Amino acid sequence: MARNFFRKVAFGIAPHQSLPQDPLIWAQSQLDAVPDLTWEGHIPTGAEQLDRYGYFVYTRRKVLRPKFKNDRQGYEDAKRQLSYEAGQRYFENLELCIRHHAALNSNAPVFERLWLFWCNHFTISDKDFMPEFSTGPYHRETIRAHLTGSFETLLKEVTLSWSMINHLDNSQSVGPNSKSGKWRRKNGKVATVNENHARELLELHTVSPAAGYSQKDVVALSYVMAGWRTGYSKKRLECNPVKFDQEYHEPGNHKVLGKAYKQRGISPKNKLTDALKDLAAHPNTRAFIAFKLCRHFICDEPTEEMMAPIISAWEETDGHLPAIHKALMQVVYDHHESQVKFQVPEIWLLQMANMTGASWPPTPKQMEYDFKTKPSGIQRRISEMLEDLGHPPYRPKQPIGFPETKAEWLSPELLIRRLAYSKSFVSNRARDLDIKEMVQKNFENSDEILSQLEEINPAFGQHLHYIFPSSWMLLA
Amino acid sequence: MTITRRQFIAGTSSLTLLGSPLFNARAAKLEKRNLVIIMLRGGMDGLTAVPVLDPLLDKARPDIQVEGLLKLSPDFSLHPKLQHFHKLWRNNKAAIVHATNIPYQLRSHFDGQDLMESGGHVPYKERTGWLGRGIKAAELQGLALSLPMPLLLRGSESPDNYYPTGLKMPPPEMLDRIAQSYQGDDEIAAVMKSIQMRPRSMMINRGRDAKQLANQAAKQLAQIDGPRIAVFDIGGFDTHAAQGGADGQHGEKLQDFDRVLRNLSDGLGDALDDTLILTLTEFGRKLEQNGGYGTEHGYGTAILMAGGLVKKPQIHSDWPGLKRKNLFEGQDLMATIDARSVYCSAMASCFQVDFDYLRRQAFFGDSLVDLTDTLFVT
Repeated sequence: MARNFFRKVAFGIAPHQSLPQDPLIWAQSQLDAVPDLTWEGHIPTGAEQLDRYGYFVYTRRKVLRPKFKNDRQGYEDAKRQLSYEAGQRYFENLELCIRHHAALNSNAPVFERLWLFWCNHFTISDKDFMPEFSTGPYHRETIRAHLTGSFETLLKEVTLSWSMINHLDNSQSVGPNSKSGKWRRKNGKVATVNENHARELLELHTVSPAAGYSQKDVVALSYVMAGWRTGYSKKRLECNPVKFDQEYHEPGNHKVLGKAYKQRGISPKNKLTDALKDLAAHPNTRAFIAFKLCRHFICDEPTEEMMAPIISAWEETDGHLPAIHKALMQVVYDHHESQVKFQVPEIWLLQMANMTGASWPPTPKQMEYDFKTKPSGIQRRISEMLEDLGHPPYRPKQPIGFPETKAEWLSPELLIRRLAYSKSFVSNRARDLDIKEMVQKNFENSDEILSQLEEINPAFGQHLHYIFPSSWMLLA
Repeated sequence: MTITRRQFIAGTSSLTLLGSPLFNARAAKLEKRNLVIIMLRGGMDGLTAVPVLDPLLDKARPDIQVEGLLKLSPDFSLHPKLQHFHKLWRNNKAAIVHATNIPYQLRSHFDGQDLMESGGHVPYKERTGWLGRGIKAAELQGLALSLPMPLLLRGSESPDNYYPTGLKMPPPEMLDRIAQSYQGDDEIAAVMKSIQMRPRSMMINRGRDAKQLANQAAKQLAQIDGPRIAVFDIGGFDTHAAQGGADGQHGEKLQDFDRVLRNLSDGLGDALDDTLILTLTEFGRKLEQNGGYGTEHGYGTAILMAGGLVKKPQIHSDWPGLKRKNLFEGQDLMATIDARSVYCSAMASCFQVDFDYLRRQAFFGDSLVDLTDTLFVT
């Protein structure tokens, strides 16, 4: 019956949904097009949010600091007013609502799961005010919009996005022999590349350490990348679209993983796009991402045999993401009876909401904000809940993103949170939900679960509390 | 008291790793000593917390001078908001290392905070923290007062963590029921067991305020079979504007730290004698004040240390001076002591493990100086 499969690749089956006839076809048919977002309220664009971000940091740094230099209370009050006016504590919640609404209402929940996977692969960690203003739009416009093309296109979009350039400090890179580098050295200033972005591009986004690159490769790739910076303006500071500034670019040819990248034509911009093309097509990239996909959807320690069909699909289609995702679905399906995977908190929460038909997330009406006061309790609920569960998706602490394995997530405190939330989250659903049907639709071992529930209380009272923190639910 | 690596290996060969998550075989054989690391995020200014008596400091910061200083030595004083720290100092239970920092000079909070926790040289390169590696090397257990697990503690086997929430915990009977469903999975079952063993007071609604967390931590640490290591965070030291003197923003943050320290030492009671509390920050702040009467990101700073395992009240420093030529890049207090030498020595004292062994296991074998005998009870 493959009932666990719907939790493995999506969010389980909702009360109003019936079990699909053919689970594999159901999953694979969801991957060719980007589904529309289901949120009916305002969805801010990335450009709009970058404007807002710019206004916010400019006012904080350039207006309020000098104005209130002798007035601590005045400074605190002015910062708070600015925070409301710019929506500093609002937009992260709105973005999370848009995300969860899509997960629970999309006609392609498998696509939505893959979207969340790729957002974590190309992580923007908790830096500056990015969770507040820019990470949500980046997830939608840079990642989601490019999940039905090639991996290479996705990689280029991500690498040159404002979010990633700002996140990994590429704006601070100065080629030592660039025009700016020479001037800086002459004036006693430091002129070096910042290696962050190049290192993470190799280690986390593409080939992984298994490719055996050296520090020399990292530096060479930093040279290739130098000059790609966030635009700067007086009134918006660093919050301007990314552009290539040749004055910071390291001239010459740079060898990365044995291949020299050189300028073809009047601009050296092609050096980076050439390198990205090769990194996207590198065998270690295929293997690394196949491993991560299997680790996310199948088990903590995937085998070569699981990865092989995904790698083949990648090779045959030059990294066409829908083909890769379909191959993955086949592998998940083939192993769905023998393998279990510990569900990370955000996915677990969405499964719980979906399977019980809970009214989640808050509605567009509830999320209407006046930009004059602190967002209300209900408006802040989604970010606080994810924070409580240890999984605020825009706030991983490091660029590697949130971990995927059971060992990393299985701490006493985090289990306590799930125990407590499953009680508060579903208690209002217990009355009008057919628990028996919910269990039968979503769990392969429904007989065992139902007989254990009956043992506790034959009248099926507060049983939802027992189901969601149980190992039947934590593992899928 | 510090045991050599050879003894250490001999002593742990019969170790059972699991069992109660808060207790293990090696821990049972050791005198119980606690290590508490308080991370001061944002860049704690050593020159505000422990100002040097030097006209150059007053000259560089005419508008944010601290008044009402508490005198520590002929050369240094203490910020007046550090009342409890001063009390501990007078009781021979506090000391300072000055003009120190982790080996990071580039002034980014994100990179600096990553490195202060990882103990490495390259931002984001390490996936574990120096304390986690030290705990693992010493085969102990830590308790993180944060969610999720901080990088600092990563690398140790199943560290425990605690962070209060407003949620209600299910009653014990329900926990028993749920625990039954975990019987097929030893790992989840073990975690559930440690939850069931927790005092109920650790599960109900408590403030997340660092001061209240300190009360909880102290209670846990004071128990003979409780955790030995605790880590927590105080943010807000990034005072670019209105930093102020005695009553400014930086002073207010120092007061937060002082209250955490007070709650810890009150809660620990006699166990304070077997405890070491150390601060950790990503960098100090620039010598000169800025246009907003704040300070910019700098380099050298101070480590505040408290507890009975502090050897004596002292300001340990190779003081570089504040003349322009002595400043880092002509702007910041120079760091003349690698802060990691202090942390490695603190672990050697608390974990009762050889300094060199920890230096290799927790700090990549970097050349650090053994300050165990100078700073701590061995």
